[in-house]
Amino acid sequence: MMWLSGGFIFRRGDSFYHRLDPRAKLLNSVLMFVTTLLARSIFEMVLVIVFMVGLSAAATVLKRVARTMAFTALFSGFIFVVNVLFTRDLETSVLYAIRFIAIVVSTSIFFITTSPDELEQVMKMFRLPRDVVFAFVTAVRFIPVMMLDTIQIMDAQKSRGLELEKGNLIRRVRNMIPILIPLVVNSVVRSGELAEAMEARAYGAVPRPTSLLVYRARRADVGVVCAAVALFAIAAYSFYFVVPVRFP
Amino acid sequence: MADILKVEGLSFRYPDSPKNAVSDFELSIPEGEIVVLAGPSGCGKSTLLRTVNGLIPHMYGGEYSGDVLVAGSSVKRSSMRDLAQTVGFLFQNPENQIFMFSVERDVAFGLENLGVPREEMRARVDEALRLLRIGDLAQRAPHELSDGQKQRVALAGVLAMRPKLVILDEPTSLLDPKTASELVALVARLRKELGTTFVVVEHRLDLLVGVADRLVVMDGGRKVLEGTPRDVLFRDEAEAHGVAVPAVTKVQKLLAERETGRAAAGRLLTPSGLASAVEGRQA
Amino acid sequence: MIEFRDVSFAHQSGVRALDGVSLRVEAGEFVALVGENGAGKTTLVKHVTGLLKPASGSVLVDGVDTREASTAQLSRKVGVAFQNPDHQLFSETVEEEMSFALRNFGFPPELVRDRVSWGLELFGLGEYRKSSPLILSGGEKKRLTLACILAWDPQVVILDEPTVGQDAIQKEKLAGTIQMLKSAGKTVVVVSHDIEFLWPIQPRVVVMKGGRVVGDGPATAIMQDRDLLGSARVAQPQLVEFYQELHRRPGTPFVHPLDAARWAEEAMRP
Repeated sequence: MMWLSGGFIFRRGDSFYHRLDPRAKLLNSVLMFVTTLLARSIFEMVLVIVFMVGLSAAATVLKRVARTMAFTALFSGFIFVVNVLFTRDLETSVLYAIRFIAIVVSTSIFFITTSPDELEQVMKMFRLPRDVVFAFVTAVRFIPVMMLDTIQIMDAQKSRGLELEKGNLIRRVRNMIPILIPLVVNSVVRSGELAEAMEARAYGAVPRPTSLLVYRARRADVGVVCAAVALFAIAAYSFYFVVPVRFP
Repeated sequence: MADILKVEGLSFRYPDSPKNAVSDFELSIPEGEIVVLAGPSGCGKSTLLRTVNGLIPHMYGGEYSGDVLVAGSSVKRSSMRDLAQTVGFLFQNPENQIFMFSVERDVAFGLENLGVPREEMRARVDEALRLLRIGDLAQRAPHELSDGQKQRVALAGVLAMRPKLVILDEPTSLLDPKTASELVALVARLRKELGTTFVVVEHRLDLLVGVADRLVVMDGGRKVLEGTPRDVLFRDEAEAHGVAVPAVTKVQKLLAERETGRAAAGRLLTPSGLASAVEGRQA
Repeated sequence: MIEFRDVSFAHQSGVRALDGVSLRVEAGEFVALVGENGAGKTTLVKHVTGLLKPASGSVLVDGVDTREASTAQLSRKVGVAFQNPDHQLFSETVEEEMSFALRNFGFPPELVRDRVSWGLELFGLGEYRKSSPLILSGGEKKRLTLACILAWDPQVVILDEPTVGQDAIQKEKLAGTIQMLKSAGKTVVVVSHDIEFLWPIQPRVVVMKGGRVVGDGPATAIMQDRDLLGSARVAQPQLVEFYQELHRRPGTPFVHPLDAARWAEEAMRP
């Protein structure tokens, strides 16, 4: 849960990267993602990671990215062990382990610097149905609300003598019931109220709703996209067509 | 002035319910009034409101007879699209009516749904933000707002659609008293500036009687009392119908029963007004 | 019974919710906690049962430091009814709902049965014994959550915004319940915005603002302190305002604010 909220939930920021067109941010993350798949040596992989760390620092999200990397390292440790057992190839195993971290970070950078409003624009660009886009936006919008609900429910039940940490595994799972049922009931009630409020605000009135905000690529966006594509081209060329670059 | 809302012999029963939620209801509201709807919990207020903005019968089915006319057109024959532009609805919990991640996007939500062109939308959003004096919050996310601010944002989203009639369903129940009275003052100001009609469901009458033109009391799905706030609150039955008669009004009523001085005047007195009335009697 | 000693607490976000709060509530007292939203009232309540632990200072409940005891142990002595009943109702029947806490606290089955019957009777919920708590009306749900708490007979009862969404008739019943708890010797703490509800039942009033206690005293004194209430964004009861207006005018005999209404009535008698 911590990992998820730290690594993937948007928080307002004010860096050049936050202000970029969401499409530029998406493209950049996709390119970083692909580059990690192209890297064939640990050295190349480290280069990619160094680039991501630099970018995170420039985007003022280095702390969060570092924490995400630390959490992800637990999983990639597991990937490493499994790989060593099956392939008996230390270098490949290390490569896979780092690649996993790099993949998570490339996606995380996109999500933590892109507001749900911008995500919505990106989804619209892909011509996803309005209902799907709206469901996504609402889900993201209500994450903090549901977290607050959960805390209040837990407080109420603990005040009635519920001890979550008590007993064996089965007992502990059963202890979750008094938390989960009110949470579900509240969500159902909430969605009913949301549906009414949507109707009252003419949701679905016209097949092609308009939008208050438009994203027009500015010079900065074009510049960043060009730089990202150029970097990617160099990386792709050297990582793929040249012999794997190893530590000097 | 023309009636903005006319309820004619309305009865409604939810499916699987043994009795009517609203029975033989009649109501006429002239344009520009502030009307307070009161009554005990479960008296049918919420149902009545939903027949006005069309959630009943367009979203909820049930046994429906009679008619509701908003600005002269029948609700059951109007589309939700048209109704959304004539009747605004502010729900009790502001949290559940803010959809977007920024205030200005949320205020624009209804206009986006109606397909209003961007330039016009921009102007109407800015106007709504200015009316509610929340321009400085335009870029905030919902979880960065206080309860009072959320309620204002939700109301801005409603007003941006330029409704003629706005329904407020217990708008202050989650607010503290000062924030609540600020909201009531806001409603009075909007009525003056825009000429909008407001129908407000509220338990806390002490906040509202000063600005309301009319008080309607419901009980058991029926209209049991109607009149100016003074006339209704001076009736002995008011309390029996679960109406919270403000303390100072109770005193005024006691005094009015004894003599016809200022206390018995045609309007409700504030605490200081009542003190003046008593002082006058002394001299 | 409850003692806050210079308690400070900040939320994860860094917002200072309590700032050097010192407060003593004696056994059998009736206290109202007032202040605008965000003044720190709910944070204070959560400290009493150890749901939150002080960052500095200490909270003692019946002599026990809340850092040394679990929320379950503290709740046995202090029952808290939170604002929203939907945050706790989960059982298949009203009866089960009421038994939940009693079982957690290890009451024997016969006693559970007796206490549940007593509570249902007291709050007029007997007819719903076998119904789902979710079908109850808002007012009934609120009464049920209160019944759930009184069933385990805690020494202290804390009610968080008990009048929200309640009509005049339900509020009157609630006032009656509070009187009953007072006469049974319980310590009662009510967190409420509803000044008009609080005034006739005359609690000791504690005013909070920005995480601090800025006023503390009997209702008659605190409710007359216009400056204090204004600065904490708390409304003044109408009858107190009326009394003060009256009192400022010459020739008005000095009377207790509680008697303002009665006095006015008598003054008008022909």
